[in-house]
Formats: sequence, C-alpha cells, structure tokens
Amino acid sequence: MIRRSSAGRFQHSGISRRSLMQGAGGLSLATYLGTRATGTGAATLVQATPTTDISGTSLSILQWSHFVPSFDEWFPTFLQEWGDANGVTVQVDMINTADVPATFAGEISAGSGHDIVEHIASLPQYENSVLDMTDLVAEATARHGEQLPMAKANSFNPTTNKYYGFCHGYAPDPANYRKSLWETVGLDTGPTTFDELLEGGTQIWNEQGVQMGIGMSQEIDSQMAAQAMMWAFGAGIQDENENVTINSPETIEAVNYMKTLFESAMTPEVFGWNAASNNQLLVAGQASYILNSISAYRTAQEQQPDVAADIFLSLPLEGPAGPDRALAHGHAVFTAMIPTYAENPDTAMEFLLHLTANYQAAVDNSKFYNFPAFPDTFPGLTDDGGPLDNDPYGSEPPDKLATLKTANDWTVNLGWPGPANAMIGECFNTFVLSDMMAKAARGDMSPEDAVAEAETTLNAIAENWRAEGLMGGGQ
Amino acid sequence: MSATTTRDERYLMDRDRVLGPLFLLPAVVYILALVGLPLVLAVLYAFSDVTVADPRISGRDDFVGFDNFRAIWSDNVFRKALRNTVVFTLISQVIVLLLANILAMVLSADFHGKRLVRFLVLLPWTTPVALGVLGWFWMLDSVYSPIDWMMREVGLLGPDTPFGPARNMYWLGTTHLAQGAVILVHVWRTLPLATVILLAGLTAIPQDIRDAADIDGAGFWRQLFYIRLPLLLPIMAVALLFAIIFAFTDLTIALVLTRGGPVNDTQVLASWAYFKGIQGGNLAQGAAIALFLLPVLVAIAIAMLRLARRAGEETA
Repeated sequence: MIRRSSAGRFQHSGISRRSLMQGAGGLSLATYLGTRATGTGAATLVQATPTTDISGTSLSILQWSHFVPSFDEWFPTFLQEWGDANGVTVQVDMINTADVPATFAGEISAGSGHDIVEHIASLPQYENSVLDMTDLVAEATARHGEQLPMAKANSFNPTTNKYYGFCHGYAPDPANYRKSLWETVGLDTGPTTFDELLEGGTQIWNEQGVQMGIGMSQEIDSQMAAQAMMWAFGAGIQDENENVTINSPETIEAVNYMKTLFESAMTPEVFGWNAASNNQLLVAGQASYILNSISAYRTAQEQQPDVAADIFLSLPLEGPAGPDRALAHGHAVFTAMIPTYAENPDTAMEFLLHLTANYQAAVDNSKFYNFPAFPDTFPGLTDDGGPLDNDPYGSEPPDKLATLKTANDWTVNLGWPGPANAMIGECFNTFVLSDMMAKAARGDMSPEDAVAEAETTLNAIAENWRAEGLMGGGQ
Repeated sequence: MSATTTRDERYLMDRDRVLGPLFLLPAVVYILALVGLPLVLAVLYAFSDVTVADPRISGRDDFVGFDNFRAIWSDNVFRKALRNTVVFTLISQVIVLLLANILAMVLSADFHGKRLVRFLVLLPWTTPVALGVLGWFWMLDSVYSPIDWMMREVGLLGPDTPFGPARNMYWLGTTHLAQGAVILVHVWRTLPLATVILLAGLTAIPQDIRDAADIDGAGFWRQLFYIRLPLLLPIMAVALLFAIIFAFTDLTIALVLTRGGPVNDTQVLASWAYFKGIQGGNLAQGAAIALFLLPVLVAIAIAMLRLARRAGEETA
C-alpha cells in the first residue's frame, strides 16, 4: 500500500518497488498484447494505486491535440476507465497545440481552469503559477526508475530548485529523407553529415528539382532546426550556467552554412511556413529531406502510401564539432503542469502517476511517436528485435524505425547545455533563432550582424527573467 | 407641466428620466465590463512588471514607469510591426474606400441579379474571420495553392514562363507577396461593411436633389463630385473610422495567415503583442505593445467623428 506522508507527498509501505514493477510490467505486457489485438482504443490494464483517497473528486485536463490521431482516440477511454475505477469524474479538452499557451494564460489570469495543462514544450515562463512537482517526480522515479536527464532539464529550474512540470515523455526528432532521391547521389542511407546534406541536397535540387525542407520561419520546427544546426557546429544559445553565448564564431559558421544551404537547395517557401508545412511538403512528395518526428511519416502512410514507402529516418547530422554534438531536441516534450488554482491537485498527480505506469500503452497508441521519459515503463522498447525493429504499423521494411533505438542518447533539452529556462521559452516563441538564420539567408544582414542582433535580443530577454528570479547566469 | 404629461408620467416606467437611463444601462454595463475594465487593466499592465505567470499587481513595487515602453522601442521587431501596422492600414483603407464607392454605386443601380450580387458582396463579412483567413491561407499555400495551379495551367508559372521557372509563387514566403496578401485579405474582409454603409448613404440622398441635378444637365462626374461625394462624406467618415480601427487592431489576419513572417515582415502590433505577451510570457511588454497606438486611435476616432458631425450639420 502507498500512503500519504506528512513529510513528503508520497510514502511507500507494504508493496516493494520490485514487486510493483513486476506487477506493472506483467500487466503492461498484457496491455501491449491486448492493444496489438484490438488496434487503438484498448485502455489501461495497470491501475496505479492511489496514495490518497481521491474518490468523489474530479479531474479536468487541457492538452494538445495529438499529431497521431489514434492517440486522441485512446486517451479519453484510458482516462475514463481510470476515473471509473477510482470514483473520479474526468474531463479532457484537446485543443491545437499552438493555442495551449494562450488558453493557459487566460486561465491563470482568471484564476480558475483545468487541473492539468499539458503542452508539447516546456513553459518555464509559467513557473510562478504552477505547483512544484518535485514529490511527484521522486515518486515516479521510485516506482519506475530514473527519469531521462533530458526530461528533467526540460521541466526543472535549477535556479529556483523547482520542477515546474512533469515530463512523462517526448517525441524523438530524427530526419525524414526520400531514399530513392538520395540513392541517385550515392547516399543510400541518407546524409550523415552536414557536408553530405549540402552536397547531395544541391545535386538533387539541380538534377531532379526536388528541394529540401528545413524551415526558417515563425514557427517551432524552425527554431528546433536552427538550434540543432548550431549544436553540430559547436555553438549554443547559452552555457550550462545560463549565460548567453550565441555570439560565437561557431554560430556564425552555422548561419553561413544555412545561407549556403538555402541558396543551393531550398526555395523561399521555407520563410513562410507554419509547423505543419514541412510535413505537407514531404507528404506531397516534394521534399528530399526534412527534420521532423515520425508524425510526418505516419501521415504519409495514411495519405500517400507510395511516398511513405520511400521515406526513411536518419540520425541527427554530424557537423564540424564532431559526433558528440550531433544532437536533436525532443520534437515534442510532453510536459504536464498543475496550476496553483487547480481544485484537485492530488487527483491530478495520481493520474499522472497512472499515466506513467501505463506509458507502454501511450507509446503504442501513438504509433511510437511518444517515447517514455521513464524508460523502464516500456521494457525492451529500444532493444534489438524489439518493436522498433518490427514496426507493427505497417512499415516496410519493418525495421524502418530502428533509427530511433538510440534516440535517448542523442536527444537533449531545449536550451542545452543549459536548462530549458524562461529565456529559452521566450526565445522560441518570438522566433529569435529562425529570424537570425533567415536574415542571413535572404541577404538582409551579414551572418555576423544577424548573430549580433540575436545576442542583443536574447540578453534583453534574459535580463527580464533574471529580474523575475526565474533564471541564473549573468554573472 | 400639462395635465396630460402628469397623467402619462404617473407611473415610474412612464418617466423619460427613468426609462432612458434604464434602457441604456445594459449597454453601459457591457461596455464597462468588457471594454473599460480590460482597457484599464491593460494600462496598468503596461506600466508594471507582470508576467503571464504572475499577473497580479500587489503594490507600488510592481510599477516600473515607462521601462516597458523604452524596452519595446529599442526592439527592431516592434518598430517593424509599428511601420507595418500603419502601412497596411493606410494602403488597405485607400483601396477599400475606392472599391466601396464603386461597388455602392453599382449596387444602387437597378439590374438583374442585384440581390444575388449584394449577397455575394456581403458574404466575406458574414464569414467568421478566422475561417475566412484560413481559406486564404490554403489559397496561398506554398504547395497546394489553387492560384498557382491556375497560373501553371495558363502558362504563367513554371519553367520558361513569365513568373517561372519556379512552379509556385511562394506567396507567404517572399516579403512583398506576403505583405500584399495581408493587405488583400484586409480589403476582402472590410470591403463589404464599407460598401453597405456607403450604400445606405447613397440610398438616403433625396431623390429630388438627383432629379434637380438631372434637369440642370449635370453629368455623371459632376453629380459624383458635387452631389454624391459631399453628401456621402459624413457616412464615409464613419465607414472609414470603423475600417481603420478594424485594420489597426486586427490580430487574426497576421496570426493565421503568416504568423508575422517572413522574418517579421508582416508582423503588426496586435500579433507582436500576442507573441511577446502571451506566447513569450512577457505580459507587461505585450500590454505596452498593444497600447502603443491607443492615443493615436483615440485621436483618429475623435477627429473622424467631429468631421462626420460637421459635415452632417453642413449638409443639413
């Protein structure tokens, strides 16, 4: 039995972690097999025992509408079954992910709203209005093993020593490339370095008229692409201590590279995209290479099977800084927050523990878009011969997702090597990185000036958040 | 006071001094609660250090004077958004004014299918703005644009064509085309309202004035410049006032169509306030951006209303 503790939020007694895990593992396997048999919609078989009496309470959740529709078919059933089992009245509202921050802001202003708000990125700028999740993370760690460091850095503020969110999963961000196009330039498994990307992509564009799709526009994917490129060139927005370090020769080199890449293999459409545009280009069969999660591939499987058969995944590209900095963000980082005005915070935390315990079902119903932040919740996910080597959702060849087996190794948090702080949040939401890249690519500014301008902007943003006490650095 | 009046005002609800304010009360409450209160709140936010996570103003320490205005003024994106807001508004309203006058005159004439044409002209105004803009977004999509498809079909786009060799125009990816698209959607959106207002004005011009002008031998242009336009001036000012305020404060078009891109070239104050204040979390600076043009808008509104009143008095 697990009971409420006066010192900490959760206290164990009776059932050991091992026995709990064994039980959960067995039931998870049953869930997995059951889901295999029925397709989407099969819900929970693991009931995470509540640590406190939540019967008679209610739980309302605001979360993003998933990019893989089968997840949104499964989740309400999963939630309802948990509610029925625990006597909790449940409700989930799913909205466009771009609308989550604004809706959350409105609820904070009103001082009332949902008990859980989940977004696909860190929202550290909301820290003062959410509960500290330290006890919840500790409890989940006790039950399910260590949380990925990337997940912690995406939800923990070292300056205030507070978990402002509970990160239960993420979506890896590999590259999606068209195999038949890259075979013609002698790169059968797609480009592995930025040099190969430029060389091969240029040849494909010149000879076959198919462009590359790396955005430089006012949306989130473009920010992620820009930062991944900066990492590969040895640059970063900030250091480990949250000091702004963007103005460096490495960043200028990355911006120069992007300018050359645009001039050689892309069209002006990359300046006017929204977050779905690179997916659409790939699914339409008009892109040789994009940076995105597997949702683009899954969409193609539904809408353009011929194109999907030609889409393959590859690892983050190696740049001048070497293989250790061939990194990517979590394309989506599933971060649940409990606002200070939540009427049922205990119920909310219990549900998050329950979701974590059943993450294998979440991964499966997202068609392997979601990856667990607590890897032990899906034993064997990344093993050889596991589901990524034999995609149950119709990939041909079946091991098409095998690239993702190492995703935990090359996925880092927003703002790495520092934490995902409020400056990073504002930087991503006001498009500082994509603007820097685009200004140089279009010739509006020299790469040096574009980087210097980004530094000025970031310093002003950082100063603001330091004054709020929400980020460190600036020494 | 006459005996009749006394009899009429015997009951409380019969008295003008009671009934008038009573009828006005819902409107006053509505305006105070949904316009006045948020406006006051926005002004307070603009001079404070509130963030999206901590929107409370708990004391004098939370006020920072003009710091937010100084900060936003030093931001290049803000200055670009300010310039875009003014330029998009002016250009779109000149176009709206011209087209609305033409359309109103056409629609005031008698012809077959007039009702259908009126319905079609009004349609953009009845469509929810977000839905309409979403339609334009797809019309101008970089891959699936039907406009591009038509241009390719008639040989205007593609290799060896006037707008080639590209197969797409990339409407929302190039600066001038994206800015043109924003102006176009503004015009598409506000033209129906301006047309209907002017149509009402034209219909209100007394027939005897027009008959007298005909008898005196005044041609179309003379009637237009000496009769119709002067008589329409008050109502034109009202139409223009509405359209300017709609254009100045519009968030949806920039947000849905371009998200301010490419590189903030279509960013306007309303969208930048949203990105900075809500998405970015800096509520105080967002409020400062949103309020920046408030004094200008108030001045425009007062000037236009005075103009309308003066012109109305002269006409009378």
